[in-house]
Amino acid sequence: MTWEYSEKTKQLFMDAVHGVAGTHMGEIADPDGFGEHGSIACGDALRFTFRCERHPSDPLQDRIVEARYLTFGCTSAIAASEALCTIIEAGHFSPVQALKVSNQDIVDFLEGLPEAKIHCSVMGAEALEAAVFNWAQKRGVDLKALGLDMTSAEQEEGRLVCKCFGVTEPYLRRKIKELELHSIPEITNAIKAGGACMSCHHAPGGLQDILNDIWGRHPTTLVPLPSMPEGHRDATATGSELSPYQFAKQVERVLSEDVRPRLQDDGGNLEIIDIKEMTVYCRLSGACANCAGATGTMKLLVERILKERVDERIRVIAV
Amino acid sequence: MEIVYADNNATTRVAPEVVEAMRPFFEESYFNPSSMYDAAHGPAEAIKEARASIARHLGGVRSDEILFTSCATESNNTAIFGAVRANPARRHVITTCVEHPAVLNVCKELEHEGLEVTVLPVDRQGRLDTADFVRALRRDTLLVTIMHANNETGVVFPVGELARIAKETDPGIIVHTDATQTVGKLAIDLSRQLRHVDMLAFSGHKLHAPKGVGCLFMRRGTACRPFLLGGHQEAGRRGGTENVAFIVGLARALELAVATHEDDEPHITAMRDRLERELTARIPLTEINGAGAPRLGNTSNLSCHFVEGEGILYQLSAAGICASSGSACTSGSLETSHVLRGMGIPFTAAHGSVRFSFSRYNRKGDVDHIVSVFPEVIASLRRLSPYWDNASDRPRPEAEGMLHGAPAGAPR
Repeated sequence: MTWEYSEKTKQLFMDAVHGVAGTHMGEIADPDGFGEHGSIACGDALRFTFRCERHPSDPLQDRIVEARYLTFGCTSAIAASEALCTIIEAGHFSPVQALKVSNQDIVDFLEGLPEAKIHCSVMGAEALEAAVFNWAQKRGVDLKALGLDMTSAEQEEGRLVCKCFGVTEPYLRRKIKELELHSIPEITNAIKAGGACMSCHHAPGGLQDILNDIWGRHPTTLVPLPSMPEGHRDATATGSELSPYQFAKQVERVLSEDVRPRLQDDGGNLEIIDIKEMTVYCRLSGACANCAGATGTMKLLVERILKERVDERIRVIAV
Repeated sequence: MEIVYADNNATTRVAPEVVEAMRPFFEESYFNPSSMYDAAHGPAEAIKEARASIARHLGGVRSDEILFTSCATESNNTAIFGAVRANPARRHVITTCVEHPAVLNVCKELEHEGLEVTVLPVDRQGRLDTADFVRALRRDTLLVTIMHANNETGVVFPVGELARIAKETDPGIIVHTDATQTVGKLAIDLSRQLRHVDMLAFSGHKLHAPKGVGCLFMRRGTACRPFLLGGHQEAGRRGGTENVAFIVGLARALELAVATHEDDEPHITAMRDRLERELTARIPLTEINGAGAPRLGNTSNLSCHFVEGEGILYQLSAAGICASSGSACTSGSLETSHVLRGMGIPFTAAHGSVRFSFSRYNRKGDVDHIVSVFPEVIASLRRLSPYWDNASDRPRPEAEGMLHGAPAGAPR
């Protein structure tokens, strides 16, 4: 799959990696706003910082004069970071005004992004939001009082829907509405959720369910599929599915846990001589060896326990 | 701009000798080899010769054990589905976690159809543990499908040895191997070291034949149903008019590979080794994936921690260098390569993995060019990385822990 980037995206990326004058790679020391989004595990991460010209009395009149980024990610992630910083610096925004810069603005600045790379622009917008949130905390600005419904990412804890990218239900719901995402591919392109193992797509409470709930669609009734075969059944249920070695180990474990302690109470013990298929050849030793009830012990105690705990087809033969 | 092509595990340049051998079958000798008239005798005879030549070069097997297909994916599908359909009494398949999707996804499909599949793990170097294999063998094991060498890392599996263990355990077990990366690169001897292998799949375009032709060795007596049903071609085992020119090209390519192998192999391995030496000496925190395992001499899979592979490839491409990566952004999904994940490579390294793969058409100067470009590509991306400290040219202290696979902060 070759690159389908706009000339603008390619240019911004190459300028950034070559450190051309006017690019925005870096991190501002003691920034007025600090925001991060993504993680290395997910494949991209952005650290965004900005510096303000502070207004002496009214923090709302602070102006962002410098914006910097450090980005781990692909070509478009780096270009989107450049775009974000350029837009922010050029706008002479106050931090609150900067919140109006959306991922679509970044996409437009880049002269378009391939569908599958939209999440790079979303990452920029998210880091910006986090940085403004951080600024508001530092400057004592109550964003809620301004009518801005802002929640920091950390506050959006909730049920994990996409485990691969650690995306929670509250975050998903907010983003689906904000970015008007109507399908699973749109969700994946924008915020990556559902892009790896895909098991959350149609699971109960998964992406499709959340989409249906938000956009008021009714789930199509599907014919239930035959259930998948179980890869690894409980070892205690069917001994025949185990390799002979595992089977023997299982038999040995059950004997040690449940049988030997009882025999040892009476001063006896038990030894496995061989196992052939489902037939376990055992020898009683110690005090039990000469016990008149030895054969009965084998059948009543050992075989019964092995049948219960390992496989009901087991036969125990006293040797 | 001169192109340095270092992506030969993806595909290869068609050898001029191969093009020449194929040409007559597009131009004057275009007849359907199944036709009755004299003119069609030429193409029919050419296929017969190609089949005999390939049989000879795979260790002197029989001509009728060679099937022509359209690609290695078809060969793998044919082998696996065919074996399963011919042996309904058995329901267990063994494979590995690093197979090509042409095997892994077929095995997933088998699971949907109700078979049980044991997927063997590999270690940090990409090696299989033979004991794991032995433990996986069951009374109802139908098929073992394990690749000969891995396309991403070049790690070679002891397929001959595994096949012997399987056959000594139970001669009824069918052993298939995807040898797409080894035919033309390693000597393939199906009469000796691989004599217990029942089926072996490969394609032409990895050994300087064109894309669109594949081959499946199927040992006589192997219970296997046809996959592509149609006419009587390939003795009814694969329908469809024979792709005469490409079949001739495949045979010619294998002849060339065998003839030049002894001279080319040391030269290719020397290039690869020098590349790895020079790059690891110049770039901090770079590791070679699979270096501790037996590997193909042409393949190098390097990981540069804390950078992302797509940006690497983009810059390499701008410098005329063709390579590939196991990073998420280049995979078509959002996941890193299943091979590197299977090996437990930490994600700080998996995202920054690059594969260089050479062929006999590479020259010493190619390595020089890569060595002159690659370190600066990595440095430029690390300068931008929030995990890298440029002053010390090391990861930032808070990122050091991630090197060993520790979680990278709280993923949101």
